Order: sequence, then structure tokens, then C-alpha cells
Amino acid sequence: MFEKFKELICNYVEADPEAITEDTKFIEDLGFTSYDFMSLLGDLETEFDVMVDEAEVVNLQTVGMAVDYLEKLVSGK
Amino acid sequence: MDKNNVKTLYDLVKNSAACYGERVFLKEKNGKDIVEKDHNEFYEDVLKVCGFVASKSEGRTVHAAVIGPTSYAYLTAYFGTVSGGNVIVPLDAQLSCTDICELLQRADVEIFFYDKRYEPMLDQIRISCPAIHTYVPLQELSETVSAFEAKEPESISPDRLAAIVYTSGTTGKSKGVMLSHGNLIDNAMCMDNESTEEDSLLTVLPIHHVYCLTCDILLSLRYGCCICVNDSMLRIGQNLKLFQPTTMLLVPMIAETIYKQIKTAASAKPDVPIKAIADAVFGGKLKVIYSGGAYLRPELAQAYMELGIPISQGYGMTECSPRISTGDLNGSTLGDVGIIVKGCQVKIVDGEITAKSPSVMMGYYKDEAATAEAIDSEGWLHTGDLGYVEDNRIYITGRKKNLIILSNGENVSPEELENKFAGVEFIAEVLVYADDSVITAEIFPSPDYCKDMTNEQVADMFRELVNNINKTVTSSKTIRRLRMRNVEFDKTTSKKIRRNQEIQGDLI
Repeated sequence: MFEKFKELICNYVEADPEAITEDTKFIEDLGFTSYDFMSLLGDLETEFDVMVDEAEVVNLQTVGMAVDYLEKLVSGK
Repeated sequence: MDKNNVKTLYDLVKNSAACYGERVFLKEKNGKDIVEKDHNEFYEDVLKVCGFVASKSEGRTVHAAVIGPTSYAYLTAYFGTVSGGNVIVPLDAQLSCTDICELLQRADVEIFFYDKRYEPMLDQIRISCPAIHTYVPLQELSETVSAFEAKEPESISPDRLAAIVYTSGTTGKSKGVMLSHGNLIDNAMCMDNESTEEDSLLTVLPIHHVYCLTCDILLSLRYGCCICVNDSMLRIGQNLKLFQPTTMLLVPMIAETIYKQIKTAASAKPDVPIKAIADAVFGGKLKVIYSGGAYLRPELAQAYMELGIPISQGYGMTECSPRISTGDLNGSTLGDVGIIVKGCQVKIVDGEITAKSPSVMMGYYKDEAATAEAIDSEGWLHTGDLGYVEDNRIYITGRKKNLIILSNGENVSPEELENKFAGVEFIAEVLVYADDSVITAEIFPSPDYCKDMTNEQVADMFRELVNNINKTVTSSKTIRRLRMRNVEFDKTTSKKIRRNQEIQGDLI
């Protein structure tokens, strides 16, 4: 899951995948806009065939938090 | 549609049914299914809501608020309310419960149409807003109004108030822009041949913004194009492929993101022409993108042009319903914000763009002082933007006001956020600004109060304070970057902090 995140993140920003850790912040560290972030989650929805709730994801600041959230969705399918 | 027959929003809905009848007006997702509604159905459902609102108003004019994402039910609530001469108050779906209560009170709302996701707020709203006597979840609107006859309402004057739209203000308190039927209809009718009934659009912007209402909804009713509802900001990519729109209204931030995705895909597949990749991303039928709400980089406009999808950039403000100028691809210079719309006059006064047209608002609701400040005695609306006009095209050079315009088009008043730091002992001075579109608070700590503390201790207090402040504001106003400096800010002679000064503080 984390590897897929890293791969998809690189569709939005020029980042070294090896430098992305669970503590990496989307906006502050990666320079994401809020729409980049939403769009990334949309890609992950398609990738893992889950439905993300927009209201629940606005507070996910780090890659690790987003991975945890997605993992819970996938395991609850 | 003969625009001479259309003077009010009701006329627009009625004429769209007469002209486009069984053509699809709107498509939206319901789970995995797509639901379609035609223009006749929309007209009939609007009349039923109109009858329902009339039954609750006892002959008076009532104000009804509506909150939620774009949906068929949202639009029937909106047009049903205004068709009978009542007033709609569209609220920002991202507002906190406290802000919603405040606006419901200030706008004298009596009827509340809400998406069910706001149900947890209802207890607080009932306590704070005793004037509201009718609550209708949008998901149950159809059943609620089913017993009402689809009867034509009495005709109303185009000068009648249709909507109160709350917008950010420089003083920190949002102002209620009063738009009449005539204002909105003028803006929807000011240009010609913008679309055809063969067009379909994906509506992605927040529906409480007049930009979305006029350019997505009113123009679709006028030209008979099909509105496809984007169900979430997460799913623009999926919905573009699903609905295959021919046009789209965007803010620059979304256009930037989509372009980045196309470029990345292109570099991963060097053998595939980039235009083919763009076609796949946009669904294959997109002809033009309309952009507004924030600054569009000319380089981005050029990049889209090379993909074969021109971006047409316009300019306006809520107070002008909203269009002052509109994108015109013929002869665009990539630096302008479009040609001035018909019926609108633009005059530059001391560098500031002022506009006069039938689209200019009636004023701010219950705020005569602010109205007098915005519209001068000769009827010119002062936009607060600096710029010039050349060959009937508007060029923007800056903003007179201090409002922070984020790249997603949201307006944030720095004073409103700075006021939240007032009285905090460890802070001597604070300035809030946008740094690369990220809302940033920079402080100069009080040397006296902090004399026995380490920088890290002060930084911790600052972080905690901002965390608490962020809990009281909507997500678009969240302070996400913090800076701390060890020298005072540069000030004017009247001891006010200069807004446009070099960033000196260190990131913390």
C-alpha cells in the first residue's frame, strides 16, 4: 500500500520516492495543493476499489495517516 | 431561447422546458447508477417546491437557506424558492456550525433545506435560530413536495430580490450580496452563442458561488446543455471519463493538477502523443475550459492550448452576478482576463477597476455603510482590483484590497485571522498572508514576555495556539505554515504593519 502511495504521489509532484516516509506531510513537505490531495485519493479509490468519504480525509496530513486510513477501508471491504 | 421572454429565474426555467422539453437537463450518480432528469421534469418539480414554500409563507416573502453539494434536489429547492418571489440563501457547504447559525440569523432565514450530512448540526441550529419553522432534508424534498400542485406562480418583478449570497469581506465579517432576478438574468443573457444543446458540462465548483450558479446552471438552462454532477472533488478524473463533457468550468488550481497528471502520464509513455493522453484524461470530447475565480498562469493557458483544449479566462465578482468580462478565444493575448461583457461599462478610477451594469447587486443585506463603500453615488461598483483596459479587454495588475485569494479561488481575509491572535501575551506582532497559496502566520514574539524562554518553547506555544485557532475556522482558512522572526515588522507611518514586505521569519 505504502509503495503504491509513493508511486502515485510522483504523478503529482517531482519527488524522490525513496525520500517519502510515513511522516512526510502532503502540503508542507511535498507541496501538494488541496486538490492534488483529493485527486490522489480519487486515484487510490479506483486502484483499491473502495469509497473514500471526503469529510473524513480533510485532516489526513501525512502519508502515514493516509495509508492507515486506506488500509482500514480496504480491510473493511 | 428568445431572451426577450426571460426576465426572471422562473421565466428561465419555464422557457427551458418549452424549448428543450425532454432533452436531458441533469445527470447525477445514485450509487453506481446514473439518474437523468429532463427539462420538463425540472420545471414541474420547481413548481411543486414553489407551491410548498408558498404554503409556508402565508402571503409574506420568506427567506429559505439551502446547504449541500450540487444535486437535482438542491437546484429544485433553489429555483422553487425564488420562482414564487421568495429569497434563497445558498450557504457554503464547508462552514462550521457556528458560522452557519450566524448566517441563518443574519439572513432572517425561516425555511432550511439541508443535505442530510448536516443532521448532527440541527440541534444547535434549532436552539440558535428559533425563526426557522421549516426543516427539509434535500434527500426527502421530492416526497415532501409531492402533494403540491405544479401551478404557475404569479408573475414577479425582475427587480425583486432573488438571492442573498455571503462573501468574504476585508473587515473579516462576510457580507450578504443581494442579487435580484434582473441581476442574474442579465449576467446569463449578456453574451450570445456560448454553448449549444449538444454540449454537456461537468459541474465541479461549489454551487453556493455565483460563478457556478450563473455559468454552469443558468447558462445550461438557457442553451439547453446537459449538466453532469461531479459527486466529489475526489472523483473528477473518474467522472470526466464517465460523463465525457464538452465544456467545463474550473478554477486554476484544478486545471494545474489535471495538467500535472497528463504530463506525468506523457513522460511515462513517450510513444503516445500527449494529445491522446489528454483526450483519455478528459473523456475525449472536451472542447474548452472556462477558468475564473483566481489568477491563471499564462504558461498554463498556453500549455492547454498546445493540448488542443483552450482555456477561456473571465473575470468578475459576486457583487456583479459575477461576470464583468468573459473569455474570448479570438485574439486572446494570454495575459488578459477576457473581453468586457455586453451591457457592462468599465472605468478605471485611480488604477482601480470599476464596473456599471444591470448585473451589479442591489447592495449588501442590512449593511448600508458597506453598500455605499462598494457602489458610489453614480452606480459604479468598486471592485478593489487594480488593472487597465485595452481593446475592450481587461488586464489585472494587482489587488487593492488585502484579501488573500488562494489558487482555488477561495477568499480569505487576513485581518479576520490576525484578530484571533489579539491579546495573546507572548505575541507582539502578527501578519497573516499567503505564501505560495498556503495561509501563513508570521509572528514577532514579545521580547519581554519571552525573555526567559528558548525559541523552541515559544515555537511550541505558537503551534498550540494555531492548532486551537484552526479549530474555529473553515478548512479553507486553516493556517498551515508558521514563521517566527526576531525583528519587528516594517511599518507604515501610522504604525500599521506593511502587508507586502519581504518574508524574514524562519519556518517552524
